[in-house]
Amino acid sequence: MAESALPALAPTRRFRFSTQTLILWLLLLPVVIVLAAPVWYMIAKAFTPEANQYKFPIVWTPDPFTMRNFEIILGDRALPIFRWMLNSAVVTSIGTLLVLLVSASSAYAFARLEFPGRDAIFSVLVISLLIPGVLQVIPSFLLMRDLGKIWSDLGLDKNPITGGAVLKFGLDGYPALWLPGMAGAGAIFFLRQQFYSLPKELEDAAIVDGAGRFRVFWQVAMPLVKTALVSIGISTALGFWNELFWALIILSSREAITLPVGLLVLTQSGYVQRGLAFSGAFIATVPPIIVYAIFQRQIIQGMTTAGLAGR
Amino acid sequence: MAATRALPGSPRNIDRNSFSYRLRKQWPNYLFVLPHLVIFAVFLAWPILSSLRISLYDWKIMLPPDKQNFIGLQNFIALWKDNIWAKTLNVTIRFTIMTMLLNISFALMVSVALKQNFFGRSFFRTAFFAGSVLSVSAAAIIAGRVWDPQRGILNYFLVDVFNLPRIQWLGWPTTVLPTLSITTVWWTFGFPMLAFLTALLNIPESIYEAAKIDGAGPRETFFKITLPLITPTMLFVVSSQFIAHMQMFGQSYALTGGGPGNESRTVWIYMFDTAWKFFRIGYGSAMAVMLALIMLIGTRIFFFLFRSRFEY
Repeated sequence: MAESALPALAPTRRFRFSTQTLILWLLLLPVVIVLAAPVWYMIAKAFTPEANQYKFPIVWTPDPFTMRNFEIILGDRALPIFRWMLNSAVVTSIGTLLVLLVSASSAYAFARLEFPGRDAIFSVLVISLLIPGVLQVIPSFLLMRDLGKIWSDLGLDKNPITGGAVLKFGLDGYPALWLPGMAGAGAIFFLRQQFYSLPKELEDAAIVDGAGRFRVFWQVAMPLVKTALVSIGISTALGFWNELFWALIILSSREAITLPVGLLVLTQSGYVQRGLAFSGAFIATVPPIIVYAIFQRQIIQGMTTAGLAGR
Repeated sequence: MAATRALPGSPRNIDRNSFSYRLRKQWPNYLFVLPHLVIFAVFLAWPILSSLRISLYDWKIMLPPDKQNFIGLQNFIALWKDNIWAKTLNVTIRFTIMTMLLNISFALMVSVALKQNFFGRSFFRTAFFAGSVLSVSAAAIIAGRVWDPQRGILNYFLVDVFNLPRIQWLGWPTTVLPTLSITTVWWTFGFPMLAFLTALLNIPESIYEAAKIDGAGPRETFFKITLPLITPTMLFVVSSQFIAHMQMFGQSYALTGGGPGNESRTVWIYMFDTAWKFFRIGYGSAMAVMLALIMLIGTRIFFFLFRSRFEY
């Protein structure tokens, strides 16, 4: 009885059809259609033969449906697009894990542990967040080049394991893509707040039970910030997956480049076939779209709370 | 906790706040921050500092650091006289202002609409943000076909459907920057939109009800209540948008290559060419330092503007 007396306060998730709904749909739907039309066009043309790419009036469906563009792209040895996708997947997954590991342990220490100079170090990290990335690209490039020289002086680039892109320091190696990302303090800043807002009792109980500092961090605190880790992990992963400038500078061998760089190869250097570019763009866009569809809520949460909304 | 554990009548009175005592007791805690700190020092702090140093040298890419030729502020003097630098800075600032205005107003409008509780809201939220997961290369491939002068989607509607004159979207000096700006909004407005949406949803409904009772109209409510209440988010969005667009690279690089002429050549592209095509490392670093300085001043101004206007 009490509930029905206060209908306005009871949070209801049921929508009533109203004129407001109708107006919003009439306003928003055309905008969505205009924004999505080019993407839909890309998908349709990815499955359209080259001869019909430029057909007017515009046909908005595959015309006729064909897998030819994908066959050409996958059959061309100069365009190893699956290799690029694999490279992107390796760069993204390992890079994200490294960023999360390094940032989470550091963030936990800044939130919970005490050591001399803690607050001074943290304020240096916060100041670094304000410095534009443009300042670091040239020296970072020189640094990576010099590291590569050391790597080859040690003979490590001849070894099939340490000479592969995944472990090779220097140019054409993925550590050069990961290290600047791991050095950033954005994830630490965000995760520190998450650790800080956890109730301390759980960790204290674990300490009383005799757990060491690291076990408390790894087995008690980490599971409690899982949502935040997923959010920050997704935005980090999106950054690695889409990185163009830095990948363009570090990676030059056709075998080592990632998808965003590879897509530029598809559009430049004589590959002017539109169908190929569209099927390449399609292949490059499918994984992030799937990830987005699955983790939609965490992505939106992560983007808004992590403060990484700048691009 | 440590104090309660201390034995009564311990032989020496130990100062538990002293640096050496804390260091002895707390040093294992450094292990938590050490991996990041080492990487931070080598791959972020050091590059930033050495950027300042390199900008004072006529840095040759093949020479070791101790053989480089110190030239003082000559790179900056050369920059001052460089017409292309002035042009690229002009392009970058115009692009940034245009894109910020478009992006923020569009994102604000959409987020106000999506704040309402209506059937299909989550569909629209998903749809509006989806474009932001595209990489800049994929976005450029798609946008390239929209703006193509002969065979593009937009000119098809203009010329073939509505019989209007053909527009060289990316080919004319006057249209190229607005076109890139609209492309950027299409591709990135999801980020500011989400930030605004979160801020709007955090405003308690009771404030709006109170305003309604006091007879405030929708326009008054928006400008007098909504906007002031989302000031912190606005500051965050304005400064992050500013930082992002001042460093624009991919859109121009992939769509126009900086052309026609230098009309869409941003500072970042000029720096890229200077350092990686002509190997003028010192000169490129001077550009980076100047751009960073301008950006720091810009963000400072935004902070000042937003703080002085809305003091609680």
